Amino acid sequence: VTTTLDQPALAQQVTLLELVDRVLNKGVVLSGDITLSVAGVDLVYVGLRVMLASVATLEQRP
Amino acid sequence: MSAAAEAGASNGVAWYVYGIVEAGSEAPAGAGVEVSTVTAGRVSALVSRVPLEEYGEDAVRARLEDPAWLAGAAHVHEAVLEAALRSGAVVPFRLLTIFRDCDGLHDFLATRGDDLRALLERVRGREEVGVKAFVDRAVLDEAVAADTPALRELDAEIASAQIGRAYLLQRRREQALDQEAGRRIAELAGVLHGRLRDAAEAGVANAVQSHEASGRAEEMVLNGAYLVPSGDDRFERELDALREEYRAVGVTFERTGPWPPYNFVPRELGEA
Repeated sequence: VTTTLDQPALAQQVTLLELVDRVLNKGVVLSGDITLSVAGVDLVYVGLRVMLASVATLEQRP
Repeated sequence: MSAAAEAGASNGVAWYVYGIVEAGSEAPAGAGVEVSTVTAGRVSALVSRVPLEEYGEDAVRARLEDPAWLAGAAHVHEAVLEAALRSGAVVPFRLLTIFRDCDGLHDFLATRGDDLRALLERVRGREEVGVKAFVDRAVLDEAVAADTPALRELDAEIASAQIGRAYLLQRRREQALDQEAGRRIAELAGVLHGRLRDAAEAGVANAVQSHEASGRAEEMVLNGAYLVPSGDDRFERELDALREEYRAVGVTFERTGPWPPYNFVPRELGEA
């Protein structure tokens, strides 16, 4: 996976925090042995805590 | 199955699944990552082969603490789903859904194909539109103070009261104003959501966001998502009508989309 990419078009319509909230909290969630357990519920809390702490600085970037 | 997918499980590689599309769909290009499809029956998964070094369980746990990495992952996920959405129906999976190997993914598609197919049917030809409504509290408070008899009486009392008593009355007024404004915001949220949902095929009212999350000074009263048939303008006309009707009381609307239908797929397969 490359790290340079086109910005998703809709990312410009919402804050970064909202985008992260959406992709972490919505969508089909799979559980069980077939997937890696990073898809576990704690993801939501870890991710949002980190984003909340840093969203201001991230969004100030050009 | 694409050539990349056919290579199967190899050491140090896992399979990141963005979501599901109909079998035969092209893997989306232009999202900045190499995406291929893995197909079983009538459904295909949109996948990227990812290094376990970066996407293994421990690695992801560590990287989740890095906001720049998390933001990048969210952007890639969204970009791939948006690109796929331009050519057909998509069932979005949650960020960081990673299969251990391609055989497991193939089995999953084969055994849950009917459920996935049903979800694709549900969202095909429809768009998820986000609508947020905000209220300017200064404008709302003024309207509430003007047309709530109890508050008008308090204002009159305050105007003629001694300074000590005026202070107590002022506190009481603030509480009464807050309570009434809160009641009206809840009522407003219900009315706005109800009308938008009635003009759409389905609607979800999500928790309203803090000022940090919304990036707005006004108070969010509605954070809705609506499933709208493509090309049907009934929803847009209702939204325009609401903008007109509620402008005078300090309500503004923010529309986003079309989104991958995040809000209209069940959290777990097999749920309604």
